[in-house]
Amino acid sequence: MVLEDYRSDMETCRRCSACKFIPLEMALGYDHVNVCPSIARYNFHTYSAGGRMVFQVAMMEGRIDYSDKLLEVVYNCQMCGACDVSCKYAMDMEVIDPISEFRIKCVEDGHTLPALDSVINSLRKQNTMVPGSKAKRGDWAEGLDVKDFTKQNAKVIYHAGCRTSFDEDLWKIARGTVSLLQKAGVDVGIGGENEACCGGRAYQMGYKEDFLRQAKQNMEMFRKAGAEILVTGCADCYQAFKVLCDKFGMKGDIEVLHTSEYFDRLIKEGKLKPAKKVAATVTYHDPCYLGRMGEPYIHWEGKEIPGHIRIFDPPKKYRRGTYGVYEPPRDVLKSIPGLKLAEMDRIKEYAWCCGAGGGVRESNPEFAGWTAQQRIAEAEATGAEAIVTACPGCEQSFRDAIKASGSSLKTYDIVELLEKAV
Amino acid sequence: MALERDVYKALEDVVGPENISEDPVVIESYPFPIRKATTGEDTYLPRFEAITLPKDTAEVQALVKLCNKHGIQYKASSTGWLYCDPTGPGCIKMDLRRMNRILEINEKSMYAVVEPYVIYGQLQAELMKRGLNCNVTGAGSNCSALPLAAHVNLGHLSQSGSYGERNQLALEWVTGDGEIVRMGSLGSLDEWFCGDGPGPSLRGIIRGNTVPLGGLGVFTKAAQKVYHWAGPARFPMEGVCPNYTPSYIPPGFMIRYLSFENVDKLIEAVQKIGESEIAFELMGFNTAMMASNAATDNEEDIKYYKQFSEQVQGPGFMIEIMGNSPRDFEYKKRVLEIIMEETGAWSLKPVEDPEMGRGFLWRFIRTVASIRETTRATGWGGGTVGGTDLFPLMTRYIQHSSYLKEDLVKQGLLLDDACYPFVQSIEHGHTGHGEILIRYTPQSPDHIERVQGMLDREANKTAIEGRFGVPQHVWSDKLHDMYGPHTCNYHLWLRKIKKTFDPNQSSESSNYITAKE
Repeated sequence: MVLEDYRSDMETCRRCSACKFIPLEMALGYDHVNVCPSIARYNFHTYSAGGRMVFQVAMMEGRIDYSDKLLEVVYNCQMCGACDVSCKYAMDMEVIDPISEFRIKCVEDGHTLPALDSVINSLRKQNTMVPGSKAKRGDWAEGLDVKDFTKQNAKVIYHAGCRTSFDEDLWKIARGTVSLLQKAGVDVGIGGENEACCGGRAYQMGYKEDFLRQAKQNMEMFRKAGAEILVTGCADCYQAFKVLCDKFGMKGDIEVLHTSEYFDRLIKEGKLKPAKKVAATVTYHDPCYLGRMGEPYIHWEGKEIPGHIRIFDPPKKYRRGTYGVYEPPRDVLKSIPGLKLAEMDRIKEYAWCCGAGGGVRESNPEFAGWTAQQRIAEAEATGAEAIVTACPGCEQSFRDAIKASGSSLKTYDIVELLEKAV
Repeated sequence: MALERDVYKALEDVVGPENISEDPVVIESYPFPIRKATTGEDTYLPRFEAITLPKDTAEVQALVKLCNKHGIQYKASSTGWLYCDPTGPGCIKMDLRRMNRILEINEKSMYAVVEPYVIYGQLQAELMKRGLNCNVTGAGSNCSALPLAAHVNLGHLSQSGSYGERNQLALEWVTGDGEIVRMGSLGSLDEWFCGDGPGPSLRGIIRGNTVPLGGLGVFTKAAQKVYHWAGPARFPMEGVCPNYTPSYIPPGFMIRYLSFENVDKLIEAVQKIGESEIAFELMGFNTAMMASNAATDNEEDIKYYKQFSEQVQGPGFMIEIMGNSPRDFEYKKRVLEIIMEETGAWSLKPVEDPEMGRGFLWRFIRTVASIRETTRATGWGGGTVGGTDLFPLMTRYIQHSSYLKEDLVKQGLLLDDACYPFVQSIEHGHTGHGEILIRYTPQSPDHIERVQGMLDREANKTAIEGRFGVPQHVWSDKLHDMYGPHTCNYHLWLRKIKKTFDPNQSSESSNYITAKE
């Protein structure tokens, strides 16, 4: 579907402002009712999903044209999808999809931001969305006794992702993941320097063709390896392989799991036993692309039935964030002896974004940092000593925000805590 | 018509460059979303000349004075669902989003003071932590918690929690020409507890039959009466969107949907319930509204509507009971049983179902499903609203509109949903208010005229000829001028108020009244 196909959805917006707030059944007080970082930071209605619906229609009708301001608004959005959940609490209309399609149109029309073009150039040249050379992508695994699935068949592929592969501070997560999988007796292989970017974030930024190229390349490589399961610890990669590849008919039969899902399964099967006590109180941050944006894609093709209630033939099932990955990471944390989980006010499908998504970390670091600071403050309010997450992008955001604010909060990936307990 | 550069610069100097914009992208995002098919050829609403984001009363006052000085208009709004578009050029927007503080919750004197962009979801959640609750405007907890911001401010809790006109206490108001008025006790004691004094009392002036809807300056802070809450500080919610539900019904709460053989029986039951003061909420939702409230999508909505409609005997209402003690709860339940027997009420079984019932219970308390009920079907709705007067009178008035709705349904112009009038009891039956809601897919301007135009005309005719009083859909010069001569010429007085407090007509008042002769 292209932007024009969402016109009816966009025109269904009634300016109720629900997209600005968490689903209000769950509001616990004055604080933490905002759900959209963009409107929360920039305040003009324009930055909310409702405002975006209206100006996107205005653009389609030729009442506005491309401008620096338009691009500034378009790209100051993490594509976190929180607006989509809050709107669809009450409405039957697509929200994040037309916002995404508008970005794709901007890219197709040649209206992008230099910072994002630079990221995409790196992707095209080095197969990575972060600074680094292709040859060094597998350095994180140096010294590990692990299969290279491009040379040897493996039942399970572990995809580390760009951020983890090129951020030395995050290597411990990838190495810990492999170690835990091997302890559980899993036949695991990695791609090493042959691993390629999933392209998910390129899609978030509007570079659809770049995503499709990466997806094709990756899925062909996975297919050749004959693997049954693809595991990743990155929420962006997870959503790209599981949701986007499915959307574009490229996923095939491979089962895509996030590390938190797979470790949860292995723990429940008795193959991993977290026995060592980890005495700490932590809070858990739901990555947007593991949670609400990570729910399975629903294939649907049909048409609206004319009438006075908006229904479709065949009936359309909306993705509302309901079936994202929420419990497995929590179950992993709960399985660790001595670990206490203190929840934040905004959790699961209405979690506040870490700030990194949609290319915002690259195009507007100040906004990304501001968004992360909000989350750190919310985490601190729980009394937890650490914020745990399940995505390297979130971890980087929080690490930077903690450093900038002088907070004493620690940040962990879920794998790090599990490794301590096993 | 772009603003003169010196005017824009002066506005910018007040709020800072980050908080003003005249960029077309920003301007185009503010008008109420309109479908091209409904507007005729390229007919769009006028656009604001600039959008401003004042942060406090001083900035609002400065903006208002600049508008007066330079002969431009302004329109202020908060969450901005309806009634906040300009009708002509030369108008700037004051988006009050940055004015979002709860200034005080006084537990002892039972009032709360808020700025315009605090929403009811926030205020109610804070109050419940303190054993208090507030009336929530029926439009929903996504709306401003300033009673003057939200139309009449009637809501699901009005049975026990009254509504805007009556809950309004002290107030800070920037008049149309930029004077700051501190009404009630705020004016003399710097306290918020009373709207009428000691100090100037202008409650009737600033409020009128509805509210000025942005047409009489800017209300920057307001206190409202809050009420006792016997429930938990935090409702035991579980589930994932959109399937939230309390894990159990907290002690002392009960919800039922009762239907009656006819409107007379319904009125009798409402009056008895009011006299006995047993209801915490009482809203005359019809089965279509109940179905939409429970359904998480339109397909489910159709299913529930069919199911509920087959299980009612006629018009009905939702009632919630909240006991202050186990004994009080048992007493209220028993009284309700007696009233049900006396009036032949049927209880809708799905609402008695523990899981579905507890979902209804919380959605009605937090008031979160109004969007489902009014706009999910097609994104487009309408109808007509009555006034606030005796419950039976308002029921009879709105019943007339329900016959009109039936006719439109037969013509295929509307969604075929329940035509029973939607009426609510206020302050335990002290007064009542009715509405007819319609949902449809507008195909053309003519379609809207045949539906909404006809309803408006007929509702006004009925109100005037039947002596039903002034409904709350009366805004604009045209409507006030129509009703005024039948109602003690109130429109002349309203116009004098407008002239007195906004002599330059800076406060855009297309949804209120202008000072025209």
